Amino acid sequence: MHIPDGYLGPATCGVFYAVMLPIWALASRIVKKTLKARQVPMLAIGAAFSFVIMMFNVPIPGGTTGHAVGGVLVAILLGPWAACIAITVALVIQALLFGDGGITAIGANCFNMAFVLPFAGYYIYKAISYNAPRGSNRRVIAAGIAGYIALNIAAGLTGFEFGIQPLLHKTASGQALYCPYGLNVALPVMLGEHLIVFGWVEAIVTGLVVKYLQKHENYY
Amino acid sequence: MKNNFIERSIIGALSFLKESIFAEEYAARKGFLQSLDPRVKTVTFLLFIVQVLFIKNILILFCLYALCLFLAWLSKIDLIFFLKRTWIFIPLFSLFIALPAIFSIFTPGEALFAFKIAGLKFIITRQGLSGATLFITRVVTSLSFVILLSITTKHFELLRVLRIFKIPQVFVMTTGMCYRYVYLFVEVIENTYLAIKSRVGTSLHYKKGQSIVAWNIAFLWQRSYQLNEEVYKAMLARGYRGEPVVLNDFRMKARDLAWLFFALIIIVAIFYSI
Repeated sequence: MHIPDGYLGPATCGVFYAVMLPIWALASRIVKKTLKARQVPMLAIGAAFSFVIMMFNVPIPGGTTGHAVGGVLVAILLGPWAACIAITVALVIQALLFGDGGITAIGANCFNMAFVLPFAGYYIYKAISYNAPRGSNRRVIAAGIAGYIALNIAAGLTGFEFGIQPLLHKTASGQALYCPYGLNVALPVMLGEHLIVFGWVEAIVTGLVVKYLQKHENYY
Repeated sequence: MKNNFIERSIIGALSFLKESIFAEEYAARKGFLQSLDPRVKTVTFLLFIVQVLFIKNILILFCLYALCLFLAWLSKIDLIFFLKRTWIFIPLFSLFIALPAIFSIFTPGEALFAFKIAGLKFIITRQGLSGATLFITRVVTSLSFVILLSITTKHFELLRVLRIFKIPQVFVMTTGMCYRYVYLFVEVIENTYLAIKSRVGTSLHYKKGQSIVAWNIAFLWQRSYQLNEEVYKAMLARGYRGEPVVLNDFRMKARDLAWLFFALIIIVAIFYSI
């Protein structure tokens, strides 16, 4: 779901940077206020954690593998605002040092994966697990459902961002300048693969990790 | 069913570590880009990357890509390594997804070439072909600039450069610390999967595999949580009082000013030609 450089036009990139700037500012203010000094390393460790979650290959039926994004899991563990900072940091390191995800698309990638994904997932998890005791199965199911829905919302958004490129940027002769596919192709492709495959990977990983952590209650 | 999720994770972790070692090795070479002030280099490279996004003329994009390859050569980067590193995986993947866009089904326009397969007529259009070429060239040029920046600059220095953009301290400090933990965690993943591999003598059902992966992620989180306490104590022992203090030892030289001047001339020239 990491959008590389060259897929989105300057207008889209600019808009998402503009949208993310106040979110980042607010996140750093909220986290500074709520995070105790002794939890400061937790942000960095959480960021590294969200960086490496994607390196865990998960087996899926058919003999192939996929990986989870982990945004909802990090939000459940750290809270949505701290997750926003942690995932942003992970995305910046991925883009700047490893070329994974574009520099010009950092705003859009962060909007999808560091804002919409953790916030949507966190509040879906909170709504379903409302008042459930810490060790209950409802929390495990809530985490799985939150992972599935939030990842698909983020994937739908990414598809939408790809799909509006031919509408925004086209030469007079009809040549595409950035992502060449319109909404009728980009949206179903992005949503389809996440609804059918990656959403389930996300749901299973998020739910199972919460289940394992319930056995060691102190850790989240 | 093979346990390929175990192998893939080990290969992923190893290639990550190998790539980082290569990058550090290139960053330590005495080449042109390595000798520049990381601040000047980062700012000029970011300007190039932003400019690549605005260019609509493929010839100018080719020129910038050639400049990027020339800079890699000047910086003693093995060009085969650089081409492999930049083309695999994103541009090749982009090529694959851009391929259908050259046909009239997705991009209608002036027909260039037509052929029939199993009774179905395929038409390649001028608009489709030039759009796809522009798209791939843009993707590979931007990625080449990013990779060139990251392999000619020590990663730790590159992250410190972020400070000049007036990014809130919480982000800068977290980024620097996160970078170190990524290596620790990747090593943990590699060791854990190696341990699993040495104990699993038979094929695993995918459901069992999924629960192993989830258990590992949960275990990594527990280790992270315990690490937090130790790291905070270590920070306190080194004088941390809630506000991080960072050293500033970047220095501009005549060579940096010359590069800055040259890069700005190119950027302005391209700006007026697009």
